[in-house]
Amino acid sequence: MIGTATVYGLCASGLVAIGLYGLVLHPTPLRKVIAFNLLGSGTFVLFGVAARRGGAAGFLADPVPQAMVITGIVVAFASTALAVALLLRLQETGASSIETTPPEQQDNGAS
Amino acid sequence: MMPAGYATSEGGALLVIAVMLPIVGMIAIFALGLRRAERIAFIILPGGLFIALAIAAEVARTGAAVTYVLGGWQPPLGIALQADGLSATLMVLTALILCAVGLFARGTFSTPPDMSEARRPMVFWTLMLGLWSALNTVFLGQDLFNLFVALELLTFSAVPLVCLDGRRETVQAALRYLLFALIGSVFYLLGAALLYGAYGTLDMAGLRLQAHYNPATSVALGLMIVGLMAKAALFPLHLWLPPAHAGAPAAASAVLSALVVKAPFFLILRLWFDVAPQPGNQLAAQMLAWLGIFSIVFCSIIALRQVRLKLMIAYSTVAQIGYLFLVFPLVMASDAPSAWQSIGWTGGVLQLVSHALAKASMFLAAGLIAEALGHDRIDNLNGAVTAVPISVAAFGLAGLSLMGLPPSGGFVAKLMLLTAATETANWWIVAAILVGGILAASYVFRVLGRAMAAPKIGFKTLAHIPLYRELVVLGLAISAVVLGFVPLQPFAFLGIGRVGLP
Amino acid sequence: MMDSGLLLVATLAFPLAMVVACLHPAFYARILTWLPLAAVPGLLAALFERGDSIVIAPAPLRLTLALDEVGAMLLGGASLLWGAAGFYASISMCGRPGAGRFAIWWLLTLTGSLGVFIVADMTSFYLVFSLASLAAYGLVSFEGTARAQRAGFVYMALALLGEALILLGFVMLVTAAPGGNPLIRDAVAMLPDSPLESPAVLLLILGFGLKMGLLPLHVWMPLAHPVAPVPASAVLSGVIVKAGVIGLIRFLPLEVPSPDWGMALVGLGLITAFYGVLVGLTQSHAKTILAYSTVSQMGVVAAIIGGGMTTGAPHTAVLAAFYALHHLLVKGALFLGVGIAGATGRRHYVSFVLIPMALLSLSLAGLPFTSGALAKLATKPLFGDGVSALLASLSAAGSTMLMLHFLGRLQLLANDDHEGIPQRPLMLVWAVVAGASFIVPWALFANVSGYALADAIQPDALWAASWPILLGATLTLITTRFISRMPTVPEGDIIVVLDKLAPLVMRIGSGIDRTDEVLRRWPVASIGLLSLAIAFGTVLQFGR
Repeated sequence: MIGTATVYGLCASGLVAIGLYGLVLHPTPLRKVIAFNLLGSGTFVLFGVAARRGGAAGFLADPVPQAMVITGIVVAFASTALAVALLLRLQETGASSIETTPPEQQDNGAS
Repeated sequence: MMPAGYATSEGGALLVIAVMLPIVGMIAIFALGLRRAERIAFIILPGGLFIALAIAAEVARTGAAVTYVLGGWQPPLGIALQADGLSATLMVLTALILCAVGLFARGTFSTPPDMSEARRPMVFWTLMLGLWSALNTVFLGQDLFNLFVALELLTFSAVPLVCLDGRRETVQAALRYLLFALIGSVFYLLGAALLYGAYGTLDMAGLRLQAHYNPATSVALGLMIVGLMAKAALFPLHLWLPPAHAGAPAAASAVLSALVVKAPFFLILRLWFDVAPQPGNQLAAQMLAWLGIFSIVFCSIIALRQVRLKLMIAYSTVAQIGYLFLVFPLVMASDAPSAWQSIGWTGGVLQLVSHALAKASMFLAAGLIAEALGHDRIDNLNGAVTAVPISVAAFGLAGLSLMGLPPSGGFVAKLMLLTAATETANWWIVAAILVGGILAASYVFRVLGRAMAAPKIGFKTLAHIPLYRELVVLGLAISAVVLGFVPLQPFAFLGIGRVGLP
Repeated sequence: MMDSGLLLVATLAFPLAMVVACLHPAFYARILTWLPLAAVPGLLAALFERGDSIVIAPAPLRLTLALDEVGAMLLGGASLLWGAAGFYASISMCGRPGAGRFAIWWLLTLTGSLGVFIVADMTSFYLVFSLASLAAYGLVSFEGTARAQRAGFVYMALALLGEALILLGFVMLVTAAPGGNPLIRDAVAMLPDSPLESPAVLLLILGFGLKMGLLPLHVWMPLAHPVAPVPASAVLSGVIVKAGVIGLIRFLPLEVPSPDWGMALVGLGLITAFYGVLVGLTQSHAKTILAYSTVSQMGVVAAIIGGGMTTGAPHTAVLAAFYALHHLLVKGALFLGVGIAGATGRRHYVSFVLIPMALLSLSLAGLPFTSGALAKLATKPLFGDGVSALLASLSAAGSTMLMLHFLGRLQLLANDDHEGIPQRPLMLVWAVVAGASFIVPWALFANVSGYALADAIQPDALWAASWPILLGATLTLITTRFISRMPTVPEGDIIVVLDKLAPLVMRIGSGIDRTDEVLRRWPVASIGLLSLAIAFGTVLQFGR
């Protein structure tokens, strides 16, 4: 018999796994950003599991992890926004990957 | 459920001011007009320095940690801020370096008179203030989730500084930095979720009382510490650091290298000594030290082979971060009455502080050299000493500290680490410290030798550097040297307010 | 007598103050004229402050200056040579480009090299020792030629290695002694009880031996000493190498008999003494020959210290310092003399150069009535009566051959202008150093050695001093033609082997570069991050 917490836990690890896979192996930066969001979602689900466990201990539901998830979502949103802004800027300069050219070849970088 | 009771101590409000003052500055910049960014920052900077000094004085006076409980709520619902000897030291260090960098950047990041607002100055000053608030929160926070938010704030402030000038390489570097740091953050957050699931609190004092070895704790600590390593750019996770720190404007590089990478290390230190189950795990500590050893040797060699000055300094940062990770086995194996009184602890903290001062000075000096010569290729630095003599002198003095030659903070720090390693018979660490010193000396002298060579025919200085900017750089280098006069003994202030370990 | 210790402080503070004063452009422009004065406080301190000590910073810093008999002898000699060479430099370097830079390196090196004779605590010793070592780089590489740059590179690499060895040795010493920064003698006194005694002694011998040019760490010396300008060569070969001597004297537990270490040091020293002679004989540059002679002579000093250590003889330190003082003054005068020889034409060569130089040269081999004879006589008891005593005497024969070879090479330097004579002040300052090298050891001899002055002119003593020289001269006559046909060993001899390794080192370097490039690729680094997290978690869980 699998408890609800276990199901959620498995979901969380599945999301984390997919997110990690994308973040590590997808070459395009935009996909990496999306993969990061999946990874983040997995983590938040894990917090949900923790809250649920707290509920099992006698509380109705533990409020602290929920507050953390909300904060976490805001943080993840902010990082996504920053990453996308940088991506746009990168596109403007004509590059499409984050693998930098070897630094020796960059020149006349003054300051 | 509520094992550790915090009580707001006298002067606790200072901690809130330390966190909020830079934020107030940021808001003021937006409210009063972006043109005034620099002027507002120059009001906040001395204020923040004063607050940091006041906190340190309070810690020294009472001999105990200064605490503030937000809203009077006890953990796990509420969160607490606490300044012990170590945090106070780092806060003063942060304030000093930010003030120096502020002075250095004055003028280079001011809004041109013919524009109502400009992006670069606004971004620079706002982010500097944001970074400061984030750093103070990292040093003061007692709650692992609160610390996560602080770390994110730090990353968000640091990343745009990397690409202030908008060149393609720097944007790439910034994006790499951001994405890699985000993986680190998620690891940290995952670990935090696991810890909360296991112990029902994220307050460090609460965790310290309950933590014991079980799979959840091990996995959580493994994720958190390695995630933080990624943010601290320890070898082999240093991919983002060299391009990011080398591409940023000098003033930003100085702050990034001197302070920003130290924050995740500080958290690792706290996780290891304040949260992880005691007695600590020797093998894991050895593993951290080995990564440090690889960092020192490997990245010093690469620094030696760099063509460009700023990249060389950036690699040197990775190498110097390695020294910090040597602390773990040294402190744990020491037979001092408490970990905080061991010579390894003082040596590690001193290494952190002196590297921060020396590296800030070095990046700023490199910036001035590049401004004066128009490039920073090491092989072409001839004549730098005639163009910006004080900067070259500052580079040399800061280099003294990196090499670990007397008199300098770096020397005393490495001597202490070396003594601790000898006492505990960690011979690999001994070898790494010595080899690292020789390699550091080689790359510093390589630059100095070039910079002090006679200028080539047709040499001309591109830009005139105002004297005060050079003096700021020299001031930082001299403070790194002056640290060399601290006594070769465990330093009691760093142990104030630290609880626990036998 | 002055207020206790103030002159000691001035010995270090005065030259440093001159460096700081160079920030003022007007002073900087005339720094060369002031150069000879930099060593005056040191000389005064050596004369008037013997036995004094001063604590600059109290415990726990405990920065302490003290002048004992050993320190006073070497400080006096070193200050004299620094002053004289400074005077020489103020004339010979005048108007040369980069003279200001030269002066600053000069002053820094001077501070460090005088400092090693008067500091009494460990941290300060390391500080001044490093200062002398590293600042001398500026003197070595001053000429800026390819030869000078290479010499500078090798010098720096080995100096840094020496620093690391000594630092580790110091740390091992300090762990035996409690407290932050012990006095040297306290730390050394604790050493015999320390579990780390052997590695500490080994590291110290290696580190200081490197500075003295003991085999096989001598390779920098024949490269570095000849390339510097004449006055700098004089102080490099005369004074700076004595930092290694004072290091051995101060840091080895000489009063405790330790036959193993003692014999090892004697062996190493004597091998170095003969090796220096042999390689020196194949050299053709006068200054390079002198540098090899320094290698050889420092081997003798090491053997003296080792001999004393074997039996724990009570006066080893003083006697070794006496020998070092003799070498310091004579070698300084010889190097300055090379400069004089270059300015002298054929007409005055014999009277102006050859006779004094011959006396100085053979003094190194122990010619009777010279300081060398006194130094050898005084240190003789330390060798006992066995094989090492005979070998020490034979090394004097070797020195004779080397110095005769030097004199032969020296005349090639004579000025093309037949009538040329060196500038009068240069002659004067040279005469002062040369004179001091004869007079000072005579003045100190009775005090130091426990012999009466008359003992030095007994027939026995004269014969003991003469036969190695006669032997050396005879050998020279026999082997002249053979030696001139010997292949020239490159300067720095075994360093050439290391040169062969350069491509390998470069390959390793670029291999590391490539590794770094791979490690910094995104997938590699992020998979590294994952596996590190897994590994670290596993170690945390199971690795206790």
